[in-house]
This record gives sequence, C-alpha cells and structure tokens, in this order.
Amino acid sequence: MLIGMDVGGTFTDAVLIDKDSVIKKIKFPTYTENLLKSLMNALEPLLETAAGRPIERIVTSTTLITNMIATNNIEPVGLVLIPGPGRNPGTYHFDIPHTCVLSGAIDFRGREIAPLKDGEIADCIENVRKSGLQRVAIVGKFSQRNRAHEQTVADCFAKSSPGIQTVLGHQVSSQLNFPRRVVTALLTLATRDRFRDFYGQILSALSQHGIDAPLYILKADGGTLPFEQAVRMPVETIFSGPAASTMGVLALAPAGQTSVVLDVGGTTTDLALILSGRPLMASRGARIEERLTHVRSFATKSVAIGGDSMLRVDNGSLQILPRRAGPAYCLGGPEPTPTDAMRQAGLTTIGDMQRAVESMKQLGRALGLPPERTASLVLEQMVRQITAEIRSMFLAWEDEPAYRIWELLQKQKVRPQNIVGIGGSAPAILPLLGQATGCQTLAPEHHEVANAIGAALARVTMRRTFHFDTERNFYFVEETGQQEQLPGQLSSLVDAERFSVASIKEVGEQLGVAFAAEPELVYSEMFNMVRGWRTIGRLFDVCVQFPPGIQDHWNKGAAQHA
Amino acid sequence: MRKTGLVFFPAFDWAIEPTHPEREERLLYTKDQLFEEGIMDLPEVIEYAPRLATEKDIARVHFCVPDVKSQVTEAHLIAAGGTLVLADALMKREIDNGFALVRPPGHHAMRVVHGNRGFCNINNEAIMIEYLRQHYGLKRIAIVDTDVHHGDGTQDIYWHDPDVLFISFHQDGRTLYPGTGFPSELGGPNAFGMTINVPLEPGTTDEGIHYVLDNLVLPLLDEFKPDLIVNSAGQDNHYTDPLANMRFTTQGYARLNEKLKPDLAVLEGGYSIESALPYLNTAIILAMAGLDYSHVTEPDYQPGKFVQTSSQIEYIKDLAAYLKEVWHQRESLGVQRMPRTGEFYEDKKDIYYDTDNIRESRWERVRLCQRCPGYQLLTSSAIYSFGNKRTVSAVAIPLQACDTCQEEARGHYREQIESPGGLHSVYLQDRPRDEYRQFLVSTSEEVNY
Repeated sequence: MLIGMDVGGTFTDAVLIDKDSVIKKIKFPTYTENLLKSLMNALEPLLETAAGRPIERIVTSTTLITNMIATNNIEPVGLVLIPGPGRNPGTYHFDIPHTCVLSGAIDFRGREIAPLKDGEIADCIENVRKSGLQRVAIVGKFSQRNRAHEQTVADCFAKSSPGIQTVLGHQVSSQLNFPRRVVTALLTLATRDRFRDFYGQILSALSQHGIDAPLYILKADGGTLPFEQAVRMPVETIFSGPAASTMGVLALAPAGQTSVVLDVGGTTTDLALILSGRPLMASRGARIEERLTHVRSFATKSVAIGGDSMLRVDNGSLQILPRRAGPAYCLGGPEPTPTDAMRQAGLTTIGDMQRAVESMKQLGRALGLPPERTASLVLEQMVRQITAEIRSMFLAWEDEPAYRIWELLQKQKVRPQNIVGIGGSAPAILPLLGQATGCQTLAPEHHEVANAIGAALARVTMRRTFHFDTERNFYFVEETGQQEQLPGQLSSLVDAERFSVASIKEVGEQLGVAFAAEPELVYSEMFNMVRGWRTIGRLFDVCVQFPPGIQDHWNKGAAQHA
Repeated sequence: MRKTGLVFFPAFDWAIEPTHPEREERLLYTKDQLFEEGIMDLPEVIEYAPRLATEKDIARVHFCVPDVKSQVTEAHLIAAGGTLVLADALMKREIDNGFALVRPPGHHAMRVVHGNRGFCNINNEAIMIEYLRQHYGLKRIAIVDTDVHHGDGTQDIYWHDPDVLFISFHQDGRTLYPGTGFPSELGGPNAFGMTINVPLEPGTTDEGIHYVLDNLVLPLLDEFKPDLIVNSAGQDNHYTDPLANMRFTTQGYARLNEKLKPDLAVLEGGYSIESALPYLNTAIILAMAGLDYSHVTEPDYQPGKFVQTSSQIEYIKDLAAYLKEVWHQRESLGVQRMPRTGEFYEDKKDIYYDTDNIRESRWERVRLCQRCPGYQLLTSSAIYSFGNKRTVSAVAIPLQACDTCQEEARGHYREQIESPGGLHSVYLQDRPRDEYRQFLVSTSEEVNY
C-alpha cells in the first residue's frame, strides 16, 4: 500500500492507496507553524486503516522550503565567485553582503584560461573567517566542465577553516547558466541544515509509531526522491505542492489527452498543462521570490483569483483583488466573494443562500445591478481572466525558442481537450469555463485530494545529460557534476547513447527502479570539431531521463477512474 | 529600461559540408557562453523564436533560378524569418533594438540567385529591410556592413536605390574574397554616392576601424538621417579569424555597436568559432542592451596587444577624407561619371559563385526618369559547374517608381513573356503592387509568389 500526503498552505490532504483504489482519504487544516504535527495528524488515521498491512512507501509534498525562502528564514551564506571573462561581476544582484571575486577562469570546453591566485584565496578565507560566516558557496563559470578551480578553493577552506561548510557550483547543477547556479548553490546551503533537522524529526516521529516504510518527497518536477537524498539539495522540493496537483490530475484525468489542470484555491488559481498525457516542464528552472534557480519544475502559472478574493467596485467597474478578507459571506465571512456569486448562481450548494444573495445585493448596489446580474458579472470576469491565462500559457509554449530546424518545424498549434478541476471551488466554475473555451470539463472522483493522490503515485524522475568530448577525452554529467575520462572506445553517437542509457539505468536501480519508468532518450546530437580544415574530435551531447509518471498498478485500473 | 530583442538560431542541424566553416559547430560555443552568462534571463533581453520566411518574402528581393524552392533550405527560411520576427517586434515597440544571431548568412547573395556564393544563398538583411518598407512604410534605410568581406550582395541589391545608404568597410578586395568593394564603387546613376566602400589594409586594428566609424560612418549617418540603421554584423574582422587578416577585438566590436546604435543587427560571417565568437556575441548583446561589457575579453587579449602603424593610419585618414568629400559632391560627381543621356543606362557585370562554381553574366538597363528612380531590366546567364547554362530575364519596379515607369515596366514584362526566345524564365518584381511573378518558358506557366 502507498501513502501520499500534501501539506499545503491551507489544507493537509492524505490518502491511502491499494493498487488502483483509494482506501481512505482525509483532509484537514494545516498547522502552519508545525508541519510535523500536520504530517503526523494526517498519517495516523491512514495507519489505523492500513491496520498493520505493509506500507511500501510514504510520499509527501511540503511547503517547508518554499516558506523558508519566502519568509527569508534561512541561514546566512558567504559567496566566492570565479567568474572569468563575461558580464561585469559587479552587476550581479545576488544580494549577498559578503561576496568575494577571484581571478581564474575556465572556458566553455573546460580548459583553464586564467589561473587562480594563491594570495587572493588566502585573503578571501581570512575575510570570511573575520565575518564569522559558517557557510560559503563557491561558484565558478563553466565549473560544470572543469571543477578544478572550485575544488582548489574548497580545499583551501577545508585546510585553514575546517569548520566552514562549503557547497560548490558544480555540485548543485551543471546546467549552463552561472547566475542561476550561484542562486541554487546559495539556497542549497542556506536551507540544508534546517531541512535535515526536519527530516530527523520526522524519522523519530515515525519510529515512535513503529513505521519503517521508506519516506519519499515530491520534487518540483513531479518526481519522487528518497528523503535522505533530498537533504543533499532541499531546494529541489520548492513548488512540490503544484507538482502534486499536476501529478494528481495525471492519475485522475483521461490518459494520453491534452488537459489544463485547474486548482482554485482561496486567493489564487493554479494552472498547469498536460500535453498528450505528459506534464509540460518549464523550459528554464523555477523562479522563487524573484530568484532564478536551476530547479527543474512544471510550467505552472498562478492567477490571483480564488474563491475568497475580495471584490470591489471602482468607478462603476468591478474588480477582483488579489487578497482575502476572510471566508465567503455565505460561510459567515465579512465580505462578498466569488464563492457567494457561485452560491447565488446555483453552481454550488456550499454556504447559506440567504447570505449569498444578501452579499450580491450589497455589491450590486454600487454597480446599479440586481443580485443575479451582479453574480453573473463576477463569474464572467473570473472566467475571462482564467481563460486569458490559459490561452497565454499555450501561446508561450508555442513561442519557446528552438535551436534546431526539426524543433521549429515540428511546432504545432495545440489546444486543450479538457479542463480538469481539482480542489474546493474548481467544480463550481468548471461549467462556465467549458462554455467559454469549448473544452470538456471534469472534476474527477477524489479530486478534492488530488494532490495527495499525485504524491502517492508519482514515479521517481531523473534526468542525466552527458557531454562527451573525444578530443579532450573526458565526459561530464550536467546534473551531478561528475567529470570522468571517456569510457574506452567511444567513437559514435550510438556508443554514446548506449553508455548514457546504461548509466542512468544503473543509478535508477540503486534508487529503487520499481518506482521508475523505462529510461527514454530526450535528445542526442553530435558536433564535429574541425580545426584547420581537419576533424580533430567530436562532441556528443546525450540526454536521457526517467520521465515523470504514475505507477503502473494504478494505470491498469485507469478506465474505471476516468 | 532598454529592451533588446534576440533571435538565436544556431541551426545545430545544418552545414554546407561537414568540415566547412559554415557548419553545425559554428555557434555551439557561442550558445555555451550566452547560456552560461545567463544572457536570456536579463530583464533587458527578450528572446524570440524564429519563424519561417515565406517564398514571397524572398521573391520581394531576389530572382531565384530556377525557382525559390530550389535555392532555399528550411534553414534559410528560418534564418530570414528570424530577422522578420525582430522587425515586427521593433515596429510594435516591444523592443528598442534587436540582434538576429542566425545562420546561414546572406550578405553575398545578389539580386539574381543561381546558387550559393560566399556561403550565402539569400540576403537576410535585404529580405528584412524590404519587408519593413513594404509593410510598415519605412523609407530611408542605412546599412553598415561590418563583416571583413565586402558585402557585395547587399551592394548589388541596393545599387540603384536612392533611399538606401550602404556603407561597407572590409579587408581590401585585392587580398580577400570577393575581390570587390573599392572606393570607386559608388552606386548607379539614380543612386550615385549611396554606396560607400572603405577597403582597409590587412592588419587594421580597433584604432583604424574606429577612426573610420568616427570620421566617416557616423557623420554620414548624421547627415542622411535614416529611419532605420541596420548592422550587417560579420565578426570576421577579429584577430583570430581563420579566413581573414584583420586585428579587431571583442571590445572594439562592442564599442562599435554602442556608437553605431543599430536598430537591427543581423549576423553575417565570423569563423573563429572558439577563440572569438563566444566573447564577441556576448559583448555585442550587452552593448546593444546598454549593459556593461567591459569584462568581456578574449582569454589571450591584453590592452595594447595591437598597434596601428603610422602608414596605415595615414592611409585610413586620407581614405576617410576622400570618401566624405565624394559623399558631399555625390550629385555633381554622379552627373559627371554617369551622364543621364538617353532613355536607359546600361551596365554589364560578371559574377562568380565560389561555393557552387557558377559563372554569371548580367546585363542590365536602368530607365532614366526625371520623376523617379526608374525601373530596371535584367538579363542574366549562368554557366553551371557541369557546363549547362540558363538565361533568365527580369523586370524590377522599385517602390518609388512613378506611374508612367510602372506601366512601361509591366509592358516590358508582357512583351517578354510573349516572345521569350531562349529564356528559362521571365520575372516581374512589382514592388508598388507587392506582386512577384515568374513565367516558366518551358511550360508557359506563371507562378505568382
């Protein structure tokens, strides 16, 4: 049996799943100051239902890291940059008071083009020691292609100040983009200790309950990761809530179709796309609080409209504000809300009809409209804003840059077949969205705990991008920072692909391949390196992955869920 | 905040041949550097996806033999289409300037296209400029060709156009392909002095090129007051370029763009794919976006690395002064050198296509009209590498043509297709009507692009 939990900002959802059916689901308010309590409260009733039958794994999504970053409740970190030629390092805005910039440079092929200077390193270490900082991120440009400089600086720190923790750029991500690597390294170091503490607390709470099921966490890319590995890079768990809702829809919506995921909350509506049965990934890493990271995540969009949004009339025109004053008026709240409009229009049966009409009357006064017209105006506006966002998401996807001819030629116009609503208010607004867009709409069974279902059923994801350089006789792996000599004779793209697939399979087995799909080739390409009219070597770029997906045992029963 | 539009289309799946300088790898390290710098994340930079140019966009500029389809691959359509995306973005004021980092290049492609010359089939800048003039009504255009090779294709396309100022500085044609671009090439009788060529000695440095910029190019632009400045942005004046012999640096190129302030820049040549291009493109984008580029330098560069000899400086000063004088005297000089007598001015030209080994002979007649820049009648014969031959004739009516010239020219086209003896095709490029026709003699079929 599987357990899935989603600790959201407002509610904590949890489900117990056996093969293809939901055995038990629960939902109750989150204790925002005590995530552990929220988790354990959700877990206990499920364990009771399980009644001693074995739990294969527990997966949770968490807002812990997102909240830490949003409230700036993170540890102070110093920064050492080795930028080499390029943008003026003085123009970066990492907002780190203690930054030092070192000489030394590596180029795009991993060759040293300027050496480090020992004196500068010594000064830098001395300055950090004086500042009293305990953590230092060391990041060099193109360090993913040659980690030597980062390593040398880290070794110097280890030798002269062994107490200081370091994280190196190539360890957090080896994708291209130095500023994002800096931010990702900083956030990793700033959140790691607290995340580890949290993990420790969960482990001891679980062992008090006698639970030894492996504990997984849901990442922003919809994949699960063993908790003890997430400790290495907790920043990958940002946006695990939105990822959980997309994975939930993937499990609950018709398989293989193109759907919009619609999650209507109190003050926001979250949107995501599933294209022909595959969640759409953001082409670049996630942005959190205006900080651009390397964290792979789904392409999601948040619209500032929800069931509890405040409504105002300004100069005779209706406005939906991005804030709430409390619950809906029909539920005893202080002010009219979109939920009251839905109640008045008969789209939902939640709340007191009398109060809903009263609130619309009050709002309608300023507009000079009767309550029914007022309610439909509120709903029209809500639908208009949401459909505009859906359209712009599809357009943005079509406008993604392409760097190869085939990529550009295969671009096509795709429009959604379904809008799948999950969460409290979504079903009420669905019929109107269906009329406005011409899409099928559905609010599948268990939609109110879709996030927990998504967490429970999500597979392990992993992506490995191999970059082989036959002239320099080495390869590196973008995601892990691994840098090695070429494995024996590697002379063709086919060899490179075979090696890459075998490598990711091996890692997958270590991680529990039962939870992963078959590896797939994302892309592979070859460049001849020609110097002086002669081919002197080849570059092979091969990307393989375990894609995000839902466990097979659930899909086998998919027909009945749809 | 200034916004710079960027179309980056490295065409990682297109090459002339596997070891040709114009191959898949050309912008690979540039991609690495731009991505590693996080250029696309800068709030000042907006990246656009390219689109495919249409056959009509190409027929607006070129007479393609045997037809448009045979001369362009998808890569060409995307490179040209990338420039059109930026043109639209500029006109919609989404951006303040734009750089199309696209390949394959285009500035050696002339009006008639029989094949590939100088790595080019179709002229990306001209396709972009004529699209802008046709759809947005821009009139006065300045093109500054900063490639090390003479932009002979662009020069050919605008030779008779009085509203386009074409300035090319390049390594002296006696020492480099395509062997043209001398100070005496100044434009046709209706556009005399609107073509300016500045051949520079091999080994010319930042100092020399910036002298030309400050003392010739910028003053001419100030006087001409164009609606649009286009940088035909080759990067092969760089000191490490394997196909040329100049000594221009990354800082020199960036400062050039800062001073020139092109509205749109389109990548041309530049084949130092590891030692120069990654740094050059980073610096140029930063300069166009108004950002600090002072830290973008080649690994082996030190200030003072290259010094201009005094004889080179003397030569450049004299040449710049001479060309400025020619520019100011262009009207009287034009009358002297190309007397406007008779109905037509005639010219002959031989063109060699190095990539495809084709020899083209062209004969053209320009209508000398008092009210407009006239129209042109062209006959072009090409001998292909296996000895076969094709002859075509074409009628070109410019946007500015007066009603009489338009009618006369359309009459010429009708006459030609009635008795097209020995011709493969007859073309009509009717700019006022935005109509482009090709009459195929063998099938008597008329294509309307």
